[in-house]
Amino acid sequence: MNESISRLMDGELDEAEFARCCAGLKTDEAMQTWVCYHVIGDQLRGTGGHSSRASRFAAALAKEPTVLAPAPKVHVPAQPATFAWAVAATVAAITVVGWTAYSMIDLPPDAMAKAREAATVRAAQVRPPSGVPADYLVAHQEYSLASAIQGGGSYLRAVATMPAESPRR
Amino acid sequence: MRWLGGGLCVVLGLLAAPMASAQDAAQWLTRVTTAARTLNYTGIVVLRQGARLETFRLAHLEDGGQEWEKLLSLDGPAREIVRTASDVRLYLPDAKIVSIEPRTIRNVFPSLSAEQIRNLSQYYEFRSMPGERVAGHMADVVVFEPKDGLRYGHKFWSDSGTGLLLKARLVNEKGDAVEEFAFTDVTINARIDRDMVKPSWASVPGDWQVKQGGAGDVTLKDTGWFAARIPPGFAKIMEGFRKLPGRPNPIAHIVYSDGLVAISVFVEPFTVMQTQVGLTQTGGLAQFTTRSDAYLVRVMGEAPPATVRQIAQSVTRK
Repeated sequence: MNESISRLMDGELDEAEFARCCAGLKTDEAMQTWVCYHVIGDQLRGTGGHSSRASRFAAALAKEPTVLAPAPKVHVPAQPATFAWAVAATVAAITVVGWTAYSMIDLPPDAMAKAREAATVRAAQVRPPSGVPADYLVAHQEYSLASAIQGGGSYLRAVATMPAESPRR
Repeated sequence: MRWLGGGLCVVLGLLAAPMASAQDAAQWLTRVTTAARTLNYTGIVVLRQGARLETFRLAHLEDGGQEWEKLLSLDGPAREIVRTASDVRLYLPDAKIVSIEPRTIRNVFPSLSAEQIRNLSQYYEFRSMPGERVAGHMADVVVFEPKDGLRYGHKFWSDSGTGLLLKARLVNEKGDAVEEFAFTDVTINARIDRDMVKPSWASVPGDWQVKQGGAGDVTLKDTGWFAARIPPGFAKIMEGFRKLPGRPNPIAHIVYSDGLVAISVFVEPFTVMQTQVGLTQTGGLAQFTTRSDAYLVRVMGEAPPATVRQIAQSVTRK
């Protein structure tokens, strides 16, 4: 479960796992793990102390250092620049997902939908645009019927994602 | 018994309807694809991806079975793609880079296979809508509505007279447009001069960097890789190795399609330069990159991020 929560935070779960993990968050233990991971993440990034709940949790944690001893895996993306994006997005996601999951033990269906939406939005914001290299895109589009019917317009996406400055090699 | 017979007719009618619709869809797709390839046209195209809006000039010329086309960005930094019978060239004048990829064939969809038509009707509902005006032309409007959340919905507007696609919209499961392409002005069956489809640079300037792709198209062969969990309705339509401009190693390229959209899987040796892993979404295109041991797995397609991610995370050695 802890692994799933970590992957949920990283936006790595597929549909089925996502549903399972959200259902699993209904238990107190899982919820504690969820909050704990975020508090740890916040402290690591120096963005902690946003909510009183997080502060209280952090204070409680500070009194009981053994809680941290098993050192749950906190996934830290490799690249500093994209890390900043992930941080901003995570903060946005926890606001909705965390609140929803924590304040309503019995999740109504629309809260579930909101949590899913937040996770999707977060996932979509994790990287800045222009991360799709144009040459891969051109190679890919050859095989899409939806592109083929656009004729010359099928290269629109490739041109739209072409960076202004020198692309990476 | 009469009511039973009547009921049976209704049931049979319902069963027959998707098949008829599949034929309609195939007919419509064939007409529009052919129009895009064989007509001469020029116009201004707008592409909207989320909050981003960009404008392009597009010209397409067909002459004696050969095609030329040029797409030029009108907003922001100049970017240009020119396709001729022999190659596709991407020009980045600000960065002084031209990327050339030799091509002998274009889109591998001269006609739809029986399997594609079956898939289309199984995973999308095809509907005709009342006609609308687009860029001053009367347009036929059709919708491909997905039957699950694993793919986007497609709405198309095609010129009633010629079949040329005038507008296209990708819709997510909430009904929001994630991407839209539309001609704001178009001349169909226009007299297109060769100059209108030539690159803005007659020859590549000396101080430009030329990134040359491998000769010819993809070499078809078993790559040793596959996606273990592909969403229902998707089937492998191509597998092989490809040389892309500026990339030293051949790249494994596997394409899965549900009949309407394609999802590409690229696998190449991981290098320190490629540290960016995770999800990128640009309008209707989602890309997910992840590491698999010493390899970088890159999956992209016109599908919801969750679908692309699921495939990417299941890519493994055979």
